Amino acid sequence: MSEQSNKVERPLSPHLQVYRPQMTSVMSILHRATGYALSIGTIMVVWLLIAAASGPEAYAVFAKFAGSNIGLFLLLGWTVALFYHMCNGIRHFFWDMGYLFELKKAFRAGYVVLAMTVILTVWVWYCACPWS
Amino acid sequence: MAQFALPNNSKIKKGDSYNVAKGDAKNKKMFKVYRWNPEKKDEDGKVKNPSIDEYTIDLDSCGPMVLDALIHIKNDVDSTLTFRRSCREGICGSCAMNIDGTNTLACLKPIDEVKGDVKITPLPHMPVVKDLVPDQNHAIAQYNSIEPWMKTDSPAPARERLQSAEDADQLNGHDGHGPAACILCFCCSTSCPSYWWNGDRFLGPATLMQAYRWISDTRDEATGERLDQVEDGFKLYRCHTIMNCTNTCPKGLNPAKSIAEIKKLLAVRK
Repeated sequence: MSEQSNKVERPLSPHLQVYRPQMTSVMSILHRATGYALSIGTIMVVWLLIAAASGPEAYAVFAKFAGSNIGLFLLLGWTVALFYHMCNGIRHFFWDMGYLFELKKAFRAGYVVLAMTVILTVWVWYCACPWS
Repeated sequence: MAQFALPNNSKIKKGDSYNVAKGDAKNKKMFKVYRWNPEKKDEDGKVKNPSIDEYTIDLDSCGPMVLDALIHIKNDVDSTLTFRRSCREGICGSCAMNIDGTNTLACLKPIDEVKGDVKITPLPHMPVVKDLVPDQNHAIAQYNSIEPWMKTDSPAPARERLQSAEDADQLNGHDGHGPAACILCFCCSTSCPSYWWNGDRFLGPATLMQAYRWISDTRDEATGERLDQVEDGFKLYRCHTIMNCTNTCPKGLNPAKSIAEIKKLLAVRK
């Protein structure tokens, strides 16, 4: 590079601003996001355990929150996050073993992950339906 | 921490508009092209921000590919438009750019694959030299760092070092889509979010695929040394198998697979 070109501060070309969201990158960032969500969700599990160990009054407070609309909404979110992260994690294991790298297979496995997330979430909420 | 927004000097402003398609043209198309010229300054002598210029052209007056349209614009509309191009048949890798939101070679991208206006920007997250020309010095220095040449200790045979057809398939691929078919256009590296945020230390898919090309070459005798060199939290392991690289490669190669093979070799070696 000549000296002259160093004088100019070059702009950075646009990246996130122009790159069309790809199934590959969107599923990857979702894996990370659901991972973070789940680690926050463990606070709720800790609350459950402490409440259950502390006696009926403490447990009643937990049960009331978990059964409220906000509690149910959060639990639904964590169910989705758990199954997405688990299924996509299995997809990652296959990648780590060197499989599913052909684009067609990578995409097909991605659709399977999305479908399984929905199926498993519906199944869990059907089994543990709070309204039945 | 990665910076997701563009720095102030890189924010894109609205630019000029050119319409050269005649009123009765049947096949009009608008091209929205990223422009930046280091010599264009405002009243205070500060270099102006990049802009998007709009060119409406008649597709009947140019060839079928995006590169044909760019050449038409440069020849007949605005000769200041700057971009790299050479072979116009997908083997030199010069005309790599972001077209309609993904990285590809302008010479291999048919205009009619793009619905609506054709948005063209330089390869993402790179310093811009001018218009669609990114500064690739850093990426090429990273490529040099893997020492992309045959390394041997054994004395040279009287003729060339031979390889079986099966061993050569490791490099070329059964279908010609192996790592050796890479033309180093850097479409993959600049499509990789991990390379965007950590490109200073992460080698990126293009360079890592070439690292694997030499690691898997049966004639090369520096395999262990090469593995040592990439075994690094940043150089190699910033790859999180996002697969934007394989998804965008204009040559249909599979950098993600090559990187996974390096990781496998390192895991087995332990």
